[in-house]
Amino acid sequence: MNYPIWDVAFGAGLLIALVAGLHVFVSHFAVGGGLFLVLTERKARRTNDTALLNWLKSHTKFFVLLTVVFGAVSGVGIWFTIGLISPTATSDLIHIFVWGWAIEWVFFFIEITAALLYLYGWDKLDPKLHEWYGWIYFIAAYASLVVINGIITFMLTPGSWIDVHKFWIGFFNPTYIPSTFFRTAICIALAGIYALITASVQKDLDLKARIVRWGALWTVPALITLPLFGWWYIRKIPAVLFASARGPMPTATHYAFLAWSLLVVTFVLTLWALLRPRHLHLAFALVIALVALGAMDSFEFVREDVRKPFVIENYLYDNSLYAASMPGDGGFTIDNLNTVGVLNAATWVQHRAVTPDNQVAVGREVFRVECQACHTADHYRGIHQLIEQRQWDPATVHAMLSGLSLMHNGIMPPFAGTDAERDALAAYVNSLQTITPNPATFTDGKLVFENNCSMCHQDRPDDMLFTGLDPNPKVAADSLKDLTSLFPLMPDLKLSEAQRTSLVRWINTQRPASQHAANQPAANRPGTAPEGGN
Amino acid sequence: MINPSMVPTLDPNPLPAPYWVFKLLLLVTFFLHMLAMNFMMGGAFMALAARFGSKSSQYRNRIFIDVAKKIPTLLAATITLGIAPLLFVQVVYGQYFYTSTILIAWPWFFVLILLIAAYYGFYFAAYKGKRRPGAAGFVLLASLALVLFIGFIYSNNVTLMQVPSHWAAKYFANPSGWNLNLSEPTLIPRYLHFVTAAIAVGGILLVLLALARWKHDREYARHLFRFGGKAFMYATMAQFLVGMWFLVSLPRDLRMLFMGDNTLATVLFSAGLLGTVAAIFLMSDALRKDSIRVAAYGVTGLTAFIILTMVIMRDILRDAYLEPYFHPHQFPVHTQWSIFPLFLLLFLGGVVLWLVMLKRYGLFTSTKPTEL
Repeated sequence: MNYPIWDVAFGAGLLIALVAGLHVFVSHFAVGGGLFLVLTERKARRTNDTALLNWLKSHTKFFVLLTVVFGAVSGVGIWFTIGLISPTATSDLIHIFVWGWAIEWVFFFIEITAALLYLYGWDKLDPKLHEWYGWIYFIAAYASLVVINGIITFMLTPGSWIDVHKFWIGFFNPTYIPSTFFRTAICIALAGIYALITASVQKDLDLKARIVRWGALWTVPALITLPLFGWWYIRKIPAVLFASARGPMPTATHYAFLAWSLLVVTFVLTLWALLRPRHLHLAFALVIALVALGAMDSFEFVREDVRKPFVIENYLYDNSLYAASMPGDGGFTIDNLNTVGVLNAATWVQHRAVTPDNQVAVGREVFRVECQACHTADHYRGIHQLIEQRQWDPATVHAMLSGLSLMHNGIMPPFAGTDAERDALAAYVNSLQTITPNPATFTDGKLVFENNCSMCHQDRPDDMLFTGLDPNPKVAADSLKDLTSLFPLMPDLKLSEAQRTSLVRWINTQRPASQHAANQPAANRPGTAPEGGN
Repeated sequence: MINPSMVPTLDPNPLPAPYWVFKLLLLVTFFLHMLAMNFMMGGAFMALAARFGSKSSQYRNRIFIDVAKKIPTLLAATITLGIAPLLFVQVVYGQYFYTSTILIAWPWFFVLILLIAAYYGFYFAAYKGKRRPGAAGFVLLASLALVLFIGFIYSNNVTLMQVPSHWAAKYFANPSGWNLNLSEPTLIPRYLHFVTAAIAVGGILLVLLALARWKHDREYARHLFRFGGKAFMYATMAQFLVGMWFLVSLPRDLRMLFMGDNTLATVLFSAGLLGTVAAIFLMSDALRKDSIRVAAYGVTGLTAFIILTMVIMRDILRDAYLEPYFHPHQFPVHTQWSIFPLFLLLFLGGVVLWLVMLKRYGLFTSTKPTEL
C-alpha cells in the first residue's frame, strides 16, 4: 500500500513462480555444468577420447546458449518481477544486502566473460589455457551461488538479524550452510541430467553409453546426498514453520510430498537410463529433466510457502506490512492500521472514508492492498471459489475475517484496519458470491467441520477441537454457540443448532470413547440437563 | 482526495554507504552499460545497413557476417553491465523506480521475453549468417526491432519515474499495468536521441573492426572504415536536430539548466556540443587522409567522452525533475564497514582478472585472431 499494487487478474504471484521456477533449473545447471565441462574436458584429454571431446564442444554450445541467454535474462527477470510484485521487500533486501548483490555481480561478470571465452576458445587455445577459463568460469559461477544463497535463506530464517541488523548475521543465517550444501548437490545432479539430453542424440552408441555412464556418475551420488542435506536443512528451519508442510497448510504439504516423491522418481529414472545407456532416447532424457524440474520447483515452493505469511520471516508480511513498529516503518504495521485505518495509512488508495454507498468499492481497494499479494478475486487462490466451496454466507465471511491469522498454521497475516474497513472488505468478498449459500441446513458433521473449522483445526485426535470439547454432547454443542468465549482469537462464527449438533456428533465419532460420552441423546443419560434451549 | 504525488516512503533500512558512493557507482556502471548498448544496437543497424543497403555486392555479406558475429557478445556485455546500474538505481531511486515500473508493469515484464527472443535471434544471425545470409538478415532485423522496442519501454519507464505528479491518474485509470508514458512530450525526442547515438557508435564499431583488419586486408578494411566513418558522421549530424528537439521539448526551467542556470550542466552541455562538432571534423579529416588510427582512437575516445557528458547531464536532469521530492540528505546512512571494503577489493580484483582473461585470450595482441 506504500507502493501501488500491480492488479493482475489471474494472480501476479504466478509470474514469479514461472520466472523463478524456470530460472533455478537453468542457474543451478550453470554452476554444476561448469564443473562438469572442465572435468569432462580433462578426462577426455587424459584418455585421448576425441569423440568425447567433440561431443563436449557441442555440449558447451548448448550450455552457453542456455545459461548465458536464458539463465542470465531470467535471473534479471526474477529481479524485475519481485520489484513489480513486492517492491517493499525488494527495497528492504536491496538496502540490507546491496553489497552482497554487488559482489555477486562482479562474479557474474567474470562468469559470463569466462563462459564466452571458453566457448569461443575451443579451437583456438591450448588445452591448459582452455581449462583455465573453465575453472575460472566454475569458481565464479559457484561464488555467485554462494552469495545469492545468503539472501534467499535470510528471507526464511533471518535469525538474530531481526535484533542486531548486521549484514553478516543475516547472511550466515541458520539455514545458510545446509542450503549451500543442498543447492550444491542439486547443481551436480543437474550437470549429469543435462548431459543425458545432449548425449541422447549422439549417433555413436559407444560414445553415448560413455557419456550416460559419466553423467549418471554425477547425478546418482548427488541425488543420494539430497535427502541428507534436506533433512539437515529442515532441522535448521524453526519447527513451527516447517510444521506447515506437515499437514496444516495444504499447498506446502502437497509440494513437500511432490518434492520427495519426484526426487525418488528422478533417481529411479536415472538408474534406468544407466541400465541401458546405449538406448537412451531424447524423449526419455527430457522426461528425466522434467521430473527433476518438478522436484526442484516443489522444493522451492515449500521453502517459500512455509515462510508465509511473511516475505521476510518475522519482519515483513507478504502484503508489505511490517511485523513490528520501528523507526521508518512509515506507519505500515498491523497495529497502526488497526488504529488509523487502511484508508488513512495507505498511499495508493482512491477512497479515504467508508460510506454506505461506497462500501463494496472500498472493500475492493482494501482487498487489493491487503490480500492481493497472494489472492485473486476469481483465479489463482481465488476468494470466490474459496467461499463458494465452503458455502460461507455473508455472516460467516464477516466472522472469518477476524480469524485469518489462525488459519492453516498461521499462514495469513491478520486483517489490519478499522471495523468499518473490515465490514467493507466483507461486503466486497460477499459481492463475489454467485450462489446463495444456505449453510444452516447442513447436517453432515464432517462437512460442517470442513467448511467452518478445517482452516484452523486439523482432523487429528490430538487437535484442540477434539481434545478440548466437553465430553457431554449437549454441553459441547452449546459451548459452540459463542466461540470467542472458548478462545478469544476465534472468529465469532454463528453455527445453527443443526450444525452444532451434527458437528459434535461427528467429532465424537473421531475421538476415543474415553474423551466423550457415547453419542446418545443427552436426556437418556443421568446427570445431564433436560433438553431445552437451542 | 488523491495526493497528487503519491511518492512512497523510504523503507526503514538505512543506506549501507554514503549516498555519493552509490551515485558514483550508478553513473560509472551506467556509462559502461551505455557504451555496450550503443555498440550492440549500432552494430545491428550497421549489419543491416550493409546487408540491405550496401551497393558493394562484394562486401555486403562480408560486413554483415563480420558484424553480426559480434552482436551476441555485445548484447551479453550490455546485459551484464546493465545489472549494476539496475541495482544501484534501486538503492537510491527505489521509491520512484518501483512505482513507475508497476504503472507500466506489463510492458516492463515483456522486456524479459522480448530480450530472450532478440538474444536468440542475434545468435541465429551470428551462427547462420554465412550459410543463410538472407534468413539471417531478416532475423537480425527482427531482433533489432525487439531491442529497439525494449529501449522504448525503458525510455517510458525512465521518463515516468521522474514525474510523480502524473502517477496517480495513470494508475487509477488502469491499475493492471497496461500503461506506457506516451503523453510525455520528451519521450519521443529523448528516445530518438539515444537511438541516433547508437547508430553513430555503430559506425565506430566498423571503424574499430577496420583497424583490426588494417594490416592483413587493407582493401576490405578501408571499405569498412569508409562505411562506418560516414555512418558516424551522418548520424552525428542528425543528432544535432534530434538533440535540439529533445532540448526544446524539456520544460523551460529544466532546459535553462543547460543554458546557464546550472554551471556544471552548462559546462557539460557546451563540452558535449563542442566535442560532437570536433568528432565530425576529426572523422571527416581521417576519412580524407585515410588515417584509420585517428578515427579509431581519436574519434572513439572523443565519443566516449561525449557519452560520459551525456550520462552526467542525464543524471542532473533526473534530479532536477525530482527536485520537489528527492533530497539525498533525507537518507539515513549506516555504512556497512564489514562488507563494503570487501566489495571494493573484489571489484578491483575482478577488473584485473577480467583484463588478464582478455589478455591471455590474445585480444590485446594484433597478431593473434581477435574473433569473439
